[in-house]
Amino acid sequence: MAEFMIKLEEVHKSFGELHVLRGIELDIAKGEVACVLGPSGSGKSTLLRCINLLEPPDSGRILLEGTEITAGRGKNPYGVDYVRRRVGMVFQQFNLFPHKSAIANVSLAQRTVLGRGEGEARTKAAGLLKRVGLADKLDEYPDRLSGGQQQRVAIARALAMDPHVMLFDEVTSALDPELIKEVLDVMRELADEGMTMIVVTHEMGFARDVGDRVVFMDEGVIVEEGPAKQVIDSPSEERTKRFLGLVLEH
Amino acid sequence: MDVIIEQYFDVSIWTDNFDAIIEGFWQTIQLSIIGGVLALTWGLVLALLRQLPGRAMAPVRGVTIAYIDAFRGIPMLLVLLLVSGSLGAFASEGTIPDSIGIPRWFGKPDPFWYGIIALTITYGAYMAEVYRAGIEAVPSGQMEAARSLGMNHRQAMSRVIVPQAVRKVIPPLLNDFIALMKDTSLVSVIGFAEVVQVGRDVQSETFNSSALTLGAIFFLIFTIPLARLVDYLIARQQRRVGRAGAGGPAEPAPAGAAGTGQTGGPV
Repeated sequence: MAEFMIKLEEVHKSFGELHVLRGIELDIAKGEVACVLGPSGSGKSTLLRCINLLEPPDSGRILLEGTEITAGRGKNPYGVDYVRRRVGMVFQQFNLFPHKSAIANVSLAQRTVLGRGEGEARTKAAGLLKRVGLADKLDEYPDRLSGGQQQRVAIARALAMDPHVMLFDEVTSALDPELIKEVLDVMRELADEGMTMIVVTHEMGFARDVGDRVVFMDEGVIVEEGPAKQVIDSPSEERTKRFLGLVLEH
Repeated sequence: MDVIIEQYFDVSIWTDNFDAIIEGFWQTIQLSIIGGVLALTWGLVLALLRQLPGRAMAPVRGVTIAYIDAFRGIPMLLVLLLVSGSLGAFASEGTIPDSIGIPRWFGKPDPFWYGIIALTITYGAYMAEVYRAGIEAVPSGQMEAARSLGMNHRQAMSRVIVPQAVRKVIPPLLNDFIALMKDTSLVSVIGFAEVVQVGRDVQSETFNSSALTLGAIFFLIFTIPLARLVDYLIARQQRRVGRAGAGGPAEPAPAGAAGTGQTGGPV
């Protein structure tokens, strides 16, 4: 087995009375693409948000490249900044900075967080925007870009930090249908280049073709996981079958 | 009718006292601009202190909230009298140096600076609330995106949240500035010769109010265009929001999916 990029042990998370994650155990290998499926409210997004400590888990351990990142806050030498420099995240609602152009969106954190000079940051940003097919949109502001273009800027913005892992939180769910493919194509390329990715998605085709592994969640637990094609084509758990029946019907 | 015109619009009173009234209004302008800039700055500092995250900062947030509540609830005239009366008294007792207790910085008399201090204290509290509304109007996804890129709270605030918040609250800040400009007239109470004080002096000498009317006209020359500017900026903002809503999902939709609505973590 390849070395672990991320390892979750018995992770729990509640919001008040709502017990969202109920003991998650998960290993993600370096270079692996894991697609997380499940009905809404099953805890998929919370799982991602726990991994980059946007929502610190209530209990359990999360290891990133062998380093525990959930050790007591304050005492932990590997604080949230350590984690977030290594874990990139892309959101359903893009969350681009609306007061900054595409290239400034991709440059900002390079400069403030990594201390790169303006020239270096812009060169890197321009290269990444070109890579996601937006070479002609460098100076456009987010409100002039389509949803698919905004989401590709958001991917470039996360990649600019040279992350070791990328988290994708339903990144195509807010897009018009004709814009979904351009975003999935970028993610597919990224997967082909060997990026470790955890992808929360409702795109079954993407999960089946690009995912190495599919993790099916329901009600805060992992119900079933395994090789992508196997889980999607012949699920063994009843809940997985029912969910896939509902999404694949139409 | 003639009586009214003579009482309020006597041209000979205006021409006789024009220089004094203009000089008084110039003092009003200086109070407004220096007080306005300091209140805008102090208000932002207060708003940022109020937004500091984490349990360790709870006392700072508490003190800031208490300050804002207190000085929004006290008449500025009372603050002015407290400042002007007490600072001078402390200085004469030797508790604080004269240069602070009886400030005569940059050649301006001490009532001017007492006025500036009172304006800053009071309007800083008002403006802090305006900034807070702006900061809270920035979608939570902005802070999450900034934090997920590795920015710390300070970087996220200064580079992402505050620039967006300030754009949103320029109109209400300008409204507060108009109110501040009018409240500079309170400084006449402690004997500072701004435009209202000059007008009162002329009024008590001549039993004619025309000098005060001219002061009012000077105020309107500034406050009416500012009010129109506020209206224009608000209308422009609303057009923008309308366009963003029609042009696609530029503004984050209300959180509906799992996880996206649950914020409040230490982002």
